[in-house]
Amino acid sequence: MKRLIMGNEAVAMGALKAGMTFFAAYPITPASEIMHILAEKEGEIVFLHAEDEIASIHLVIGGSLAGRKAMTSTSGPGMSLKQEGIGLAHMMEVPLVVVDVQRVGPSTGMPTLPSQGDIIQSIHGSHGDYNPIVLYPSSVEECYRYTIEAFNAAEESRSPVVLLLDGFLAHLSETVDLDRVSVEIKPRTLAPLGHGKRHFTGLLAKDGVPLTKDSLYYREWYGRVKTKMLETAMNYRFYEYLKNDQADTLLIAYGIVFRVILPLKKEFSLFKPVSLFPVLEKEIQAAASGHKRIVVIEMNDGQYRGEIQKVLPREVLGISVLGGTISLKEIRERLHDL
Amino acid sequence: MIYKDYVKWDRMPTNWCPGCSIGTVFRHLTLALEKAAVPREQMVVVSGIGCSGRAAGYFNVDSVHVTHGRAIPVAEGIKRSNEKLKVIVFSGDGDLVGIGGNHFLHSARRDSDIKVICINNGIYGMTGGQMAPTTPFGEKTLTSPFGTSYAPLNIQGIVTSNARYWYARTSSYHVNHLLKCLGEALEWPGFAFIEVMSFCIENFGRRQGFKNGFDMLFKLKQDYKLNPKPDGLLKNHELGVVKNVGQAS
Repeated sequence: MKRLIMGNEAVAMGALKAGMTFFAAYPITPASEIMHILAEKEGEIVFLHAEDEIASIHLVIGGSLAGRKAMTSTSGPGMSLKQEGIGLAHMMEVPLVVVDVQRVGPSTGMPTLPSQGDIIQSIHGSHGDYNPIVLYPSSVEECYRYTIEAFNAAEESRSPVVLLLDGFLAHLSETVDLDRVSVEIKPRTLAPLGHGKRHFTGLLAKDGVPLTKDSLYYREWYGRVKTKMLETAMNYRFYEYLKNDQADTLLIAYGIVFRVILPLKKEFSLFKPVSLFPVLEKEIQAAASGHKRIVVIEMNDGQYRGEIQKVLPREVLGISVLGGTISLKEIRERLHDL
Repeated sequence: MIYKDYVKWDRMPTNWCPGCSIGTVFRHLTLALEKAAVPREQMVVVSGIGCSGRAAGYFNVDSVHVTHGRAIPVAEGIKRSNEKLKVIVFSGDGDLVGIGGNHFLHSARRDSDIKVICINNGIYGMTGGQMAPTTPFGEKTLTSPFGTSYAPLNIQGIVTSNARYWYARTSSYHVNHLLKCLGEALEWPGFAFIEVMSFCIENFGRRQGFKNGFDMLFKLKQDYKLNPKPDGLLKNHELGVVKNVGQAS
């Protein structure tokens, strides 16, 4: 059945479809609607309005350890607070999903205006090295689909997966037929607490025994976890490539920016990564070949451009759309001036 | 199941210093678990960071050792996810009421069904002996070299400000009372908080002039008196249980 729904609502519905039965969060613009919708499911699912963002991520860790698919949602300021728990979930290998609906920062910034400023925070926000899977949809239907995929990736990788949205997308209403979206739903991979002897710890540990002074073991452990993350990510490589044979320029954009620049497909080739991290190295290199110029357009000061630059051995140009407003006219002009 | 079955013997010895009292509390919790006949498969121990925070790993049950201050929210998440589990938090004062103070406040308000055992030694022991929110007024520590300027946190006051509460103050000297309190907490349907008055010889007591852990233990004996039937709340140097089965309003 076709319905008019908005991005945040699609995320909530996708989570329920994926089998999420534990949700804890703290209200924040522009992510609150996810909470409002899931609050009405209290009883069918465990719903907690926590005292703060730090509590909500840790409640979710507990909920997941005890056997339920779990999720929390927030925006940039809350994402900053959740980083501690995200690091813990990586260390303890706990599957869960964190939704970050981005707004203009730093700090309280421009709460009601959208941005894409949390790209680097989503992979480097917590201290230490870790290799998260980050997905970023660009339509309401994709919000639904990739929420389910985020849960699948979390289960398969046994790690916290970040689903990025922006304020535009979260509040964008589109007519979609969710019944036509078919995604296989992965079962739980973590045996729930209550089996007797396991010790989950934020310390470096081997079989539940802390090994906090063993550098060689750290290297072995890190190698194993990194390989696990990269191998799992191979099953979650989502992107859209619109090749224009006449074009000499490839535009790379994600989230709402891709939607805004979609009319430019007549003049340019367009590449939209949905799986932002790990970076789709091969796909981006293949798309880049045959184009003279590569331009990354994003609502931040070049955060993802830097990541693309790492995988392409030539200059990557960028257009930074700052301050929470975006127009095709402005982008067209700035492309002309490049 | 006897108390020894709740201990992971292959993890012994613990990392606690000679003269420390955490082991006493640990042992009496295993005794209380034996008495309450809690099956090992139906319980979880959660700890935060600090000396007491290492306790989780020494229990022969599924256990979680989380980041600093977050034992209570993780424990509440576990309990709300699976109501069948008996969820016990075993951690220190700096962890639970210092950095984790907001979670303590609100989990108590929500009357989450977790049992919190707080080893209160009045100091940040693991990090070397800095002032804790529970350090007595005027005490010199590494971060209060001229004596603390603040009164210690009133934990009893926070717990009992709720409509429904269960709070016990006991000590690592008064072990029979400790055991009784642990047993009662395990049975209480809701948020139960046990403040175990304790000490740290290595990073607090020796700078106060104590010669060894025993002297500190006997100081607990001198300082605290049992009050089996408190009239209202416990006074500063009283040990006992205060509770209210009232409904939230």
